[in-house]
Amino acid sequence: MANLNIDSEKNRTYDAIVIGSGISGGWSAKELCEKGLKTLVLERGRDVQHIKDYPTTNMMPWEFEHRNEMPYKVKEENPIVSKCYAFHEDAAHFFVKDNEHPYIQEKPFDWIRGYQVGGKSLLWARQTQRWSDFDFEGPARDGFAVDWPIRYADLAPWYAYAEKFAGIAGDHDGLPELPDGEFLPGYPLNIVEKYFKEKVQKKFPERKVISARCAHLSKPNQIHIDQGRVQCQNRVLCQRGCPFGGYFSSNATTIPWAAKTGNMTLRPHSVVHSILYDEKKGKAVGVRVIDTDTKEEIDFYAKLIFVNAAAINTNLILLNSKSNRFPNGLGNDSGVLGKYVAFHNYSARIYAEYEGLLDYTAEGRNPAGGGYIPRFRNLHKQETDFLRGYAAGFGASRSKESDRSGLGLGLKENLLNPKLGIWQVGSHMMGETIPKESGMVSLDANKTDDWGIPLLKIAVDYDDNDEKMKKDYIAVMTEMFTDAGFTNIRPDTHWQAPGLDIHEMGGARMGHDPKTSVLNKWNQMHAVKNVFVTDGACMTSTSTQNPSLTYMAFSARSVDYAISEMKKGNR
Amino acid sequence: MNRRTAIKQFFIIAGGLTILSSCLNDGGASIVLNKLKLSAEDEQFLADLVDVLIPKTDTPGGKDLNLHLFVIKMVDDCESPENQEKFVSGFNKLRKQLNLANGKETENKLANLTDKTDEKIFFEIFKSHAIQGYMNSEYVMKNKVIYKLIPGPYNGAVKING
Repeated sequence: MANLNIDSEKNRTYDAIVIGSGISGGWSAKELCEKGLKTLVLERGRDVQHIKDYPTTNMMPWEFEHRNEMPYKVKEENPIVSKCYAFHEDAAHFFVKDNEHPYIQEKPFDWIRGYQVGGKSLLWARQTQRWSDFDFEGPARDGFAVDWPIRYADLAPWYAYAEKFAGIAGDHDGLPELPDGEFLPGYPLNIVEKYFKEKVQKKFPERKVISARCAHLSKPNQIHIDQGRVQCQNRVLCQRGCPFGGYFSSNATTIPWAAKTGNMTLRPHSVVHSILYDEKKGKAVGVRVIDTDTKEEIDFYAKLIFVNAAAINTNLILLNSKSNRFPNGLGNDSGVLGKYVAFHNYSARIYAEYEGLLDYTAEGRNPAGGGYIPRFRNLHKQETDFLRGYAAGFGASRSKESDRSGLGLGLKENLLNPKLGIWQVGSHMMGETIPKESGMVSLDANKTDDWGIPLLKIAVDYDDNDEKMKKDYIAVMTEMFTDAGFTNIRPDTHWQAPGLDIHEMGGARMGHDPKTSVLNKWNQMHAVKNVFVTDGACMTSTSTQNPSLTYMAFSARSVDYAISEMKKGNR
Repeated sequence: MNRRTAIKQFFIIAGGLTILSSCLNDGGASIVLNKLKLSAEDEQFLADLVDVLIPKTDTPGGKDLNLHLFVIKMVDDCESPENQEKFVSGFNKLRKQLNLANGKETENKLANLTDKTDEKIFFEIFKSHAIQGYMNSEYVMKNKVIYKLIPGPYNGAVKING
């Protein structure tokens, strides 16, 4: 019997364990496997294999039972996920339904999740911009949170590394606030987006309108072909999963790459309960998992643990990893674990029309989505009554619309002969929010989920700074739209709860000082050296850029560091 | 009965979409409904009405494409209980006022419904789903206003001829 146990424990021992298979977990897995470590990848949801498990990917609009609308009953039963722009018949199977993993909203928070192999990498909006020192120096310059323990130079080579493999389309714009990278050709701005860019350049030279950078193979390199991916076909049906591998997802890219090494064991249906800490060894020794099929509790062991469960679930796992040494959660000597959670303020948009350039239109679909305006507010110095600033998306489109008035022959004739309308333009803000101690997630003392794991309580909200920033965004965009001759300008400031931006960050922040942060400059726990966190939980501040590319770079950089330390015998 | 025939009887094609048909021969609607209660007679009236909205010409009309079934399906699954109620009561009121045999009169009547009445709300819901089903039908998307799954390269500055 004893021998049996030893064998069984041996069978459950790996060199490394990665918790999560989304964007950051996929990268951790790929890097660890490529470097020869036998790696167990734990995923709480089901397996989703590239192409094979994209059931809707080639469906025509008329093949959807409700023409892609969600039934009333589904919306009523899922008020949270129904708010997500991509929750429709073609992709609903990749979203967590509200009742599948309940949580407690101490303050309104729309937690949007994808529990499957690939996580939200199947569903993301694929916008990929580097951070710059204007971002990493933010907290130190403006006196909030704690100083980032890294600067742009630390991450730059890893951005390049991640970009080359993932495939990022973009132009070289030469902007210090949005550093250029290893780009595939960028997608062009359309004629009205270009017109707006030129108008803005003339009147407001410090504001830039560039082509949005995105994780699409505009022109694949050999490395992408080696991954089995081909050029993006501009379908812009990405949320269904792409049979061409036209955009970066874990499923199309990192997970199959890791599998090809022969070093990866992928274990779906494995909810992580906690990370096991050995007081004598002074380090983590493994991970406790609940098999969602059998409800069995199983421990897996490894020398190295990467936590990539996605920001909020990473916090949940760490908070639930309690031991004598860490009664308040793994590595939580500082007491800041679960705190300083922040997000991006997406709660303002603005729309207008343009009656010029009517002898032109755009054809096809742009995977990048159009233009991007990097942060210009408070960039070089503090100049407004709010801290930090916002980036903005900008897009113009001209579509054919049918006159739907009347009925009978006239209606039918009109429906079959849609006419080009005028140009429609729109923008949305992506505001940096300031992490606060009160912005936190914690464990409920009594209520547990289906797996006996405490329910998470979320208390994250906007503040005055966000309100001021929102007003400024509307004023600035109105000014620029007016100057460009756009008409029927319509600001839209309807409130949306934090979370719906799907850019939740922080809780296990990086920092120099173990007294005020959880992770060091290598995304390594100050107090538990063999545990690394390289997903959104590690973020000290939020900046305005979409964060995923930074998680990819962090994952690759941290694996490289962890393995070099192992080789030096420092583990 | 061979399997193919059996399957045919279970499914009805509405605008290219297959809808589970009702197996019951009870004078009810021909498709499975969860909320709405419609008789075969009601269904026939809606079929005639959808042809008033989108008549048959040298191309198929609403009835040919089974758009009335699509509307019923959408109202049954996707509309709120309040809208479903208005839809049914508006329908019951309106059908008594319409003489579908007289096309001109019907068109006039439908074009001049009083705002906020159940009749008007019914007809707005009916029309919007009928148009949705029509524009998203296999026939229209393949033959008239073409939908391409793979649209080809993006061109952001296409000069319009003429």
